Amino acid sequence: MPPPVRRKTLVLFLMLGAALAFASAAYADNGGFAPVPPASPNASGIRDAYLWISIFTAGVFIVVEASLIWFIFKYRRRGRDRTHEGPQVHGATRLELIWTAIPVLILAAIAAFVFYKLPGIQDVPKAQAQGGPLNIRIDAHQFYWQFSYPDGQVSINELHAPANRVVKVDIHSDDVAHSWWVPALGGKFDAIPGQTNDTWFQAERLGTYRGQCGEFCGVFHAAMHAKVIAESQRDYEAFLRSAEDPQVLGRQEWVGVCAECHGLDGTGGYGPNIQSNATLVSPESLRTLLENGLNRTAPLSSYMPPVGRGWTNAQLVALMAYVKDHVYKAGSSGG
Amino acid sequence: MSWITTLDHKRIGVLYIVTALVFFVAGGILALLMRSQLATPNESLITKNAYNELFTIHGTTMIFLFIVPFWAGLANFLVPLMIGARDMAFPRLNAASYWFFLFGGLVLFLSFFAAGGAAKAGWYSYPPLSEEFYSPGTGQDLWILALHLVGISSLLGAINFICTIANMRARGMSWMRIPLFVWTILIYSVLLVATLPVLAVGLTLLLLDRQVGTHFFLPDEGGNAVLYQHFFWFFGHPEVYVIILPGMGVISEVIPVFSRKPIFGYKAIAFSTVAIGFYSMLVWAHHMFSVGLPTFLNIFFMLSSMVIAVPTGIKIFNWLATTWRGNLIFDTAMLWALGFIAVFTIGGLSGVFLAAFPVDWQVTDTYYVVAHMHYVMFGGSVFAAFAALYYWWPKIFGKVLNERLGKLHFWLVFAGFNLTFFPQHLLGLMGMPRRIFTYDRHGLFEAYNLVSTIGSGIMAIGILLFFWNVVQTTRTGRRAANDPWLGDTLEWYTTSPPPPHNFDKLPYISSARPLRDLRRRLAEARV
Repeated sequence: MPPPVRRKTLVLFLMLGAALAFASAAYADNGGFAPVPPASPNASGIRDAYLWISIFTAGVFIVVEASLIWFIFKYRRRGRDRTHEGPQVHGATRLELIWTAIPVLILAAIAAFVFYKLPGIQDVPKAQAQGGPLNIRIDAHQFYWQFSYPDGQVSINELHAPANRVVKVDIHSDDVAHSWWVPALGGKFDAIPGQTNDTWFQAERLGTYRGQCGEFCGVFHAAMHAKVIAESQRDYEAFLRSAEDPQVLGRQEWVGVCAECHGLDGTGGYGPNIQSNATLVSPESLRTLLENGLNRTAPLSSYMPPVGRGWTNAQLVALMAYVKDHVYKAGSSGG
Repeated sequence: MSWITTLDHKRIGVLYIVTALVFFVAGGILALLMRSQLATPNESLITKNAYNELFTIHGTTMIFLFIVPFWAGLANFLVPLMIGARDMAFPRLNAASYWFFLFGGLVLFLSFFAAGGAAKAGWYSYPPLSEEFYSPGTGQDLWILALHLVGISSLLGAINFICTIANMRARGMSWMRIPLFVWTILIYSVLLVATLPVLAVGLTLLLLDRQVGTHFFLPDEGGNAVLYQHFFWFFGHPEVYVIILPGMGVISEVIPVFSRKPIFGYKAIAFSTVAIGFYSMLVWAHHMFSVGLPTFLNIFFMLSSMVIAVPTGIKIFNWLATTWRGNLIFDTAMLWALGFIAVFTIGGLSGVFLAAFPVDWQVTDTYYVVAHMHYVMFGGSVFAAFAALYYWWPKIFGKVLNERLGKLHFWLVFAGFNLTFFPQHLLGLMGMPRRIFTYDRHGLFEAYNLVSTIGSGIMAIGILLFFWNVVQTTRTGRRAANDPWLGDTLEWYTTSPPPPHNFDKLPYISSARPLRDLRRRLAEARV
């Protein structure tokens, strides 16, 4: 058994480490001890449920760890012989019943509060002054988010919405499973091919809320970021007008969809150099490629996801126009 | 050579344990590589597909090639000894199950050299991502093959354990007298037999999709991607208890011996094991709360998941009560057992948050879940595995592991473990999804990730010390007596290591602690 001094140093070291960790945590706005500060009623509901559960779990944590430490200290060997036995107690039915019943009661209290909060988290609030919730369709793709607005406008990776308006999102996927998640605006809902999930949010403050794909979806999962931009009604309308410009759409599509793998100038990156690839300026082959993707086994097993599956004609046309003007370089080598 | 053809349960157990520890080191190296990549933001050490291979093979290795077979190995060695049997019920089946395991593991690791590299769709490999189109190359197929082989191994082993425990108990070894570790191995086996076939179905359908062109999980052609998730988690959640229950069994053996008291509430612990086993098969969809199941199903799975906390709590309270008024001896095995209670409690409590499905929507698939599951799997099962190694090493190898190195090993891993995984809760709450190979600059994100990586390094040093301890002990360690810890159970009656036939004769068994009874009878006879 090591001498007591050294054990004290060790305990001191551990406590210092823990104190540092907690201090640095408290220094930040919430330090990560609760979900990020909510900016939408559903996210607030989740945070309330989280804090409610924290009260009970903290209590149990303290009771268990304190008795553990207390027993370790109080009933340590203190030079007694190894053969020295404690009282041969085999159990106590009453105690067993108590520590079965108390957790049941705690869990009931937790479940009751969660059910009380559930409608405020899950149900889309009823119609409001602006004429009901705004419906936006989300299509998750490898490896970008596409947002379609009620009048047909489309944006990539940036969802614009008026602040304080209830926004209902319908979540689709056209390839693998993804998960829609902007922490300040509520929980995750998976985008699964073959089914539609929906959720909602109501951004309470102007600003940009960041999120990221929450279900592992392949090689660029880490790069699949989303932004929700909550703006004034006027800015939102201005955004919708600008989104109708094919140049703007085409640029967004190239940057958000193609450039992820092929580079901003098309000279390649994770994917091959396509700068002078004739497919770029052949509407039919480009359409086929974007809708079906490409699967290759030689020389290396690789594939291109069907990034344009579900695109409207306007989207394809906008991309082709952009690519023709800004990316494609005829005749140079490569491709 | 005799080790290859052996049918002796003890030698097969040793083969299992050694192989599992080799895979533990391999899987640990993969984890250290991941932590190195995540040490600082926008790091470019290991990215994209290579990183995805790392976490896929790390998870698969630790679950299928380390902890489950480690328990199989320990149980192989101990169960016949603990119940006073000569061997397992089916010695040849036993050998077969080891070899299936070894070759399954080799297939998994050799798949790194396959065209397109190893599988990279995560340890649960959800389709459509794991389908032919999105995961071309043979890595994913080899992953399926490896899991089939390891699955057959576990299934054969489980049948063998059930038959052995049901039929080969010594005279007087009634159900209420078998060691609690044996109880947990019984439930471990029942869960494997009940759920492995379902995993096999899911994997086979995935293989058919990939190789034959069926479309069970391809929605475009009429399949259903969520179906696989049900197959997987119907197996996957009971698997979590396959991983933790034997650990709880080990703790239930170690704590009484080093407290010099009987276990508090033998029946409560045994029955809570059965209850956990039963409920574990009713909670699988809590892994799928964000999939968009109907609300009544979410509610059902939330309540069933919360119910499991009750029998788990019963165990923790009973272990604490066992130490109450004891004569606590802090040998290394006991340190691991007490450390288990300290950290497993945290893992259990974070599980309550995850069971509440609206909260789960916020934290699922983030580092919060990574932290939670490492607190229960590493803080739970691996701590228990080390407790088991220090406790039974003398019986298995005939030498006592060095206590000094052992304690250093414990403290380094205990500190490193908490430094690695505690900040991950906070990262998850701040919005860091799991399975990302990099993240952007952002104050606390960077700090917590760096602390986590430093912690993993401290843990690695601790674990290296363990292997150094093994080398030292094998070379110069002190020889073990039959019963170095004054144990309660039958394995301590025979020599260390035991002879091939285990026992020359058995003591009279009239309680769950035949060895203590024997010591007392001898002491009385002397007076």
